[in-house]
Amino acid sequence: MAVCVAVIGKDNSPLYIGGVGNDTSTDNELSRQWLVHTALDALEERLATTNSNNTATNTNTSRTDLRDLYLGLLYSTDTHKIYGYVTNTRIKLVLVTSSTSPSGSNIRDAEVRTALRRLHALYADAICNPFHLPGEQITSQKFDKQVKNIMLNNV
Amino acid sequence: MRSSVSYILSHAPGESVMSHPDYAQHAQHHACLLVLVKGVGGMLKNFNKLWERIQRVNNIKVTDSSGQVRDIWVRYVRDYPVENNDWGDFQTHRRLLGLITLSKFNNQVELNEVCRVHESLKVKYSNTLYDSRAFMFGPVSNMKKPEQEPESYSLYDDDNTHKNGSSLGDKNSLPSEQTDSLSSTDSFPQSVSSNSSYPTQEEHFTTPSNFKTHAMFYGENDPIPDLEQNVADLINSLFWVVESKRLERSREKLEKVSLLLAPFEKKDFIGLDMDTRNSKKRCMGRITKNLADLTLQAGLVPESLSLYHSSAEILKAVNDWLWLAAAKEGLCAASAIILYPNLRSSTPLQRNASLQESSPYKAKALSLFQPSIDPFRKFKTSSPLRTPKTSSPVNPCELTPTSSESIETSSRQSETDNADSESLASSSDIEYQCPKSYLASELPSIPKQIPSQINIQYLLNPDDIAPKYRKAIIHYSKYQNAGIIETEACFKAARIAVEQNNSLNASSFLQNVIFINLTLSEQEKIQRFDTLAELYKEIGFLRKAAFCQRLAATRQVSPNNPNPDWQQCYYLMLHSFPGHKLSLDPNYVIQHQVGWPALQIQLLQELVVASRRMGHPALATRHMTFLLQTMWPHLSKQEHKDLAIQLQALSAQCEGGPVPLVLETGEVIPPANLTHVPQCTWFTPRPLPPARAPHLIKSKTQNCPFIFTPIHFGTLERNAKKNEGKMEYLWVEDDICEVQLKLTNPLPFELKVSNMRLLTSGIVFESIPETIILPPDSPTTVNLHGTPKEVGELQILGYSTHTLGVKSNCRLKNMPTPHKFPASYIIEVIPSLPTITIETTVTPSGNVSVSSSENVGSTTNISLYNGESTDCTIRITNTSNVAIEYLDLAIQSNMDNQLQSKIFQYSNDDIQSQLPIAPNDMATIAIKLYGEADFLDLGGVGGENLFPNSLTSNYPSRVGSPVPNAQNSLPTQGSNQHTSLSSGLIPNRTSGSFRSTNSHTTSWSAPISVMPPSRGRPVESQLIIRYSGGTSKEIHCRQSTLQINLELLPSVSITHWDVLPAEIPSQLYLVLDVTNLTSEEMDFHYAPSKHILIESKESCRVPVPLDRCPFNTTHDKAIEEGSEITESKSTNTGSSTNSLELMCSEHITNNTELRWHLMQSDISGRASVKGITLSQAMMDIVRMSPLNWEVSVNSQCIKPQEEYNCSAGECLSLGVAVWNHLNRPLHKLCLSVQFYQDYNNGVLSYKLDNRVATAGNNKVVLKTLAESAKAYHECTVVFLTPGEYKIDIQCSTTELIIEDAVTKEENSLIQTCTGEVSHVWRFIPPVAISVTD
Repeated sequence: MAVCVAVIGKDNSPLYIGGVGNDTSTDNELSRQWLVHTALDALEERLATTNSNNTATNTNTSRTDLRDLYLGLLYSTDTHKIYGYVTNTRIKLVLVTSSTSPSGSNIRDAEVRTALRRLHALYADAICNPFHLPGEQITSQKFDKQVKNIMLNNV
Repeated sequence: MRSSVSYILSHAPGESVMSHPDYAQHAQHHACLLVLVKGVGGMLKNFNKLWERIQRVNNIKVTDSSGQVRDIWVRYVRDYPVENNDWGDFQTHRRLLGLITLSKFNNQVELNEVCRVHESLKVKYSNTLYDSRAFMFGPVSNMKKPEQEPESYSLYDDDNTHKNGSSLGDKNSLPSEQTDSLSSTDSFPQSVSSNSSYPTQEEHFTTPSNFKTHAMFYGENDPIPDLEQNVADLINSLFWVVESKRLERSREKLEKVSLLLAPFEKKDFIGLDMDTRNSKKRCMGRITKNLADLTLQAGLVPESLSLYHSSAEILKAVNDWLWLAAAKEGLCAASAIILYPNLRSSTPLQRNASLQESSPYKAKALSLFQPSIDPFRKFKTSSPLRTPKTSSPVNPCELTPTSSESIETSSRQSETDNADSESLASSSDIEYQCPKSYLASELPSIPKQIPSQINIQYLLNPDDIAPKYRKAIIHYSKYQNAGIIETEACFKAARIAVEQNNSLNASSFLQNVIFINLTLSEQEKIQRFDTLAELYKEIGFLRKAAFCQRLAATRQVSPNNPNPDWQQCYYLMLHSFPGHKLSLDPNYVIQHQVGWPALQIQLLQELVVASRRMGHPALATRHMTFLLQTMWPHLSKQEHKDLAIQLQALSAQCEGGPVPLVLETGEVIPPANLTHVPQCTWFTPRPLPPARAPHLIKSKTQNCPFIFTPIHFGTLERNAKKNEGKMEYLWVEDDICEVQLKLTNPLPFELKVSNMRLLTSGIVFESIPETIILPPDSPTTVNLHGTPKEVGELQILGYSTHTLGVKSNCRLKNMPTPHKFPASYIIEVIPSLPTITIETTVTPSGNVSVSSSENVGSTTNISLYNGESTDCTIRITNTSNVAIEYLDLAIQSNMDNQLQSKIFQYSNDDIQSQLPIAPNDMATIAIKLYGEADFLDLGGVGGENLFPNSLTSNYPSRVGSPVPNAQNSLPTQGSNQHTSLSSGLIPNRTSGSFRSTNSHTTSWSAPISVMPPSRGRPVESQLIIRYSGGTSKEIHCRQSTLQINLELLPSVSITHWDVLPAEIPSQLYLVLDVTNLTSEEMDFHYAPSKHILIESKESCRVPVPLDRCPFNTTHDKAIEEGSEITESKSTNTGSSTNSLELMCSEHITNNTELRWHLMQSDISGRASVKGITLSQAMMDIVRMSPLNWEVSVNSQCIKPQEEYNCSAGECLSLGVAVWNHLNRPLHKLCLSVQFYQDYNNGVLSYKLDNRVATAGNNKVVLKTLAESAKAYHECTVVFLTPGEYKIDIQCSTTELIIEDAVTKEENSLIQTCTGEVSHVWRFIPPVAISVTD
């Protein structure tokens, strides 16, 4: 379903970018990075607006707002759709689906949401590794494998 | 946002598709009158200035006929595609209403051409053009107005209301001139050009007769004060046309209106029944929408709102989506205009701003937009202009002003030759035209006007604008042919969203632009991306903007692009830096390390390619350097290598230097310095080498009793410590200094780094360039040198390199993080000090001559025989430019000072007298070296003998015969222990108790143990020369060290010694056993006239005649030694004996002159018996006796060494007389005469009871012997058996003890005589008597 999943740190530095593509050439990798990188603007803006909304409205709504980490569709291009998800610690999870592939074209919002939730769980597991330094790139092979699973299985 | 029913009504792109999007459009442009400003003819120098001035007249206020002040806004464009003009019915603001030409001409031909172009432009836009102005710039200033056809006739004759009321000066002047010129010129351009000849008539230009425009003439450099006035006039006239159109439209009967069409719609309505209710409603809605547009343009914004609203209502009912969308957009635009009035005013401000970077519009309008449109325009100009108009009759019901114009035009043209679209346009508005009314002029009010109360009822909320716009865009999207309109609408909506500060809305509008499928030229696509980028930037989506810019950049040079523009590509890439979190400053990038490295690397690589392709190799080199420098940690080893090789190739074309590059746009590319190639892991300035290092002349006075204390009083010192990078040592002006660094070449090939220098600030520093070749991956130590040229503080900031064709200034503060360097090293530079060369020559031996260069601790090796002396000459040459004004010599060695000063002898005054030493001058210091040694060999004899060096054990001696077994019987016993110890024992054999009590006795002979004389001893010493000069001579000096290795070879050694009384009582013989320790034969001089040859390694005994030590001197000395000793003399004889011994030893040393001469090598030297030790017995011989003896046998005085012969049984009368030579009386003297036989084997026999008979006392006690008094004693002796006899005559004193017990002197007499003897004087030599039968 997804072609690319990225974990982006608090300071917008890439922590993990994994993708399933037809080829693993650098071009493909680069284009994925472009996609995710350009999504950051929209992501940040959305965070900023929800924040300001939170402050404006009463605490009740803010709590519900906080609970919803899923940001939905960030933007879409001719070929891809980019969804965002932000953890409470401002770790950004980005999921890119391909709108050209049959599986990705008519994906439902709920599917993306669950996929990102699972990704969040995986991320939490990965950084529970005592040898992992927060802020460093995630190099765990297990994480990589599981993320790839999410991307492939969840068709 | 896209409509799901896309393209339902769309057709294949037809001829009338508007295909030139205007990305610069704003919502407020809906309310603007469109005016084209064009330069024709030759390029005007001040065109841009004029363009700006014109742009400033973008808003005028007109009082309309009802007295209401209208706010009229104008939008000026430099270019406008005719096709877009066709959409004027759809949205009236797309109509080009006015034309201004700015033209330059030099002669009549050019003037004609300019006029022709102006007219052709009028024709081109004839459908919509209402009025035009031509500003002509002739060759001469203050030129007369050229003759001109009265264009105002054609224009204003028809208006005929205001002909004479024209307020403009030139208008007035025109007719008058016209009268003059008319006669001469009713000509056509060709004829005029031929007629007018320059030199004579250059001020008389005539416009061609068909030039019917209101023209203004100026000299090229005239200030043109009335430019704004004229432009305002034009706008005023335009307004009235629009106003008239509006009124006309508003009075149309709604039932009879014709259907307005968008250009592409024409085909859709063919054959449709126009009389249906639906269709009528559609017509009505469209007309209302058109009216709303006009109302908006005419400055009645609130009125337009309600019109838009009602039209939207109508159109919605008939599902006319396209026009519904337009109505909604209009509503939004009008609302935006009311809600955000600053949108209108801010735009011209931005345009006028001179800051190019901050004003996206300007940059686009001038640099990007214009050239991209031009080629396209040329392509299009050939298309017939009137075709759409000629086709207008196809719709018979169409009664739009444009069509009516064209129809009228054609009819008019047939009637009159000077027919003009403008005139036609104005002709239809006669009633409302009032040129006098522009600006503030009063007018008779025309009572026919829209109700003045503003209907804000339909004003949209700010929050509603975006959804409304969105709806409009969705409606637009249903028509493929309306793609451009949709695109523009998106941009407009986005701009409003930007104004509302709603970034997400803006981004969604912008995102929508991407999906609009337009057949655009590459240039337009690029422009689209560029505009997107601009807007993204405005809403702070820098990454998105960067992405769009990069896309635009790649489009610029894509293979599809017929004319790739690398320069544009380059600039677009460069401007996408902020979005990639890159900065042009490499240090910033390195420090912050933000952004995504993979993308940054890609971008930089593309940038390098772009700059290379656009023909700017310096930039390519710079960016490649930047890439290597900033992305170093993110690149793999292989990439390092590849990029380095690429950089080398690039820099071969243009070398990179550490200077900022300035682009044509005024941007500055700061220098990028390679600090990773080579990597510096170590950087320290070095102190000067020891020989050249400055020292303080006076060492810091220690005001603290401790050598080290962690407590520092005073904060100043503590602060100084904290000063990081401040070096503790000093550098000297004009002296070569050194910085050491360790470089590593991280690349897998050999790296040549040339021209390495130090970067400094502060004082002037001359750095010496260095070139090195670094092997891959191995740290290399490099020393950089330089010379400070001034005095003060020198800051070392880093170093510069030239490698891979790039010059870099590597500053320490910018060094990559793993190596921590202080920002700079600060070194104090003191005024220059002299330098010297030292040359050493040792004269006598001649063979040692070491020339030492300035700094190396040079070594001079000299070997000397003990006792030999030689001269050493040290020549100091001043090699600097500073005179030496201070010179100080010091010697440091492992010897104690006393010995040292004996070996090295020099005159300090001599040195000082040679100062100052001028530059290149020389000074000579003579040092005398003497092989000082102790010649007495004490260590040579070991063992049992207590007196190893006194000859007693081996040789007969009358004095030195203290045989151990005779201890008790000998009167000398009392002083026995003392003498034996001090004379014979090697210090290390003495007991500890002895040393503790009498340590000062041995102190002077300490070197003895250090230097055994029998073998060669090395003496290492350093000659320290401290010198200074120049201005800092008071504080600092330099120090040179000269190592002198002295080898002292053994020459002679005195193994044993003894003293013998000489024949004369005033003399004695010092008997020495001298050993020649050299390998040569030695001539040994021991007395002025006596010498002896000693074979190598042979030993000889020599007697040295000496005067006895005068008693007085010893005594005086004893007094001199201190009262302590004289006082203690009474209690402690030991100490007095010691001081006496010292005196005696000194006496002997001073009076013995021993010289030796090596026969073969002709070396001579001296020897001394310094440090000789004497036993008590010896001392008695050495010392002049205090008692003078006169011994007579049978009244015959006995000479020393004389043997007296007598026969056995003969009676001898032995008389002994004693004089006291002391200057004090002696008490309790015991004079004794004793006979003994010397067996000459060391055994003395005192048992002569049956061989000698004596008559008289052989022991007398003298109570007192006054000074200079004489005591005489006589006894008779008879030798009974023949033999050799000796008489031991001695006088002993028991004075000290007796003095204690004066009262019982009688009792103690005998005791003292036998027992406690304090001192004994003997008559030496003992009297020998041989008795014969």
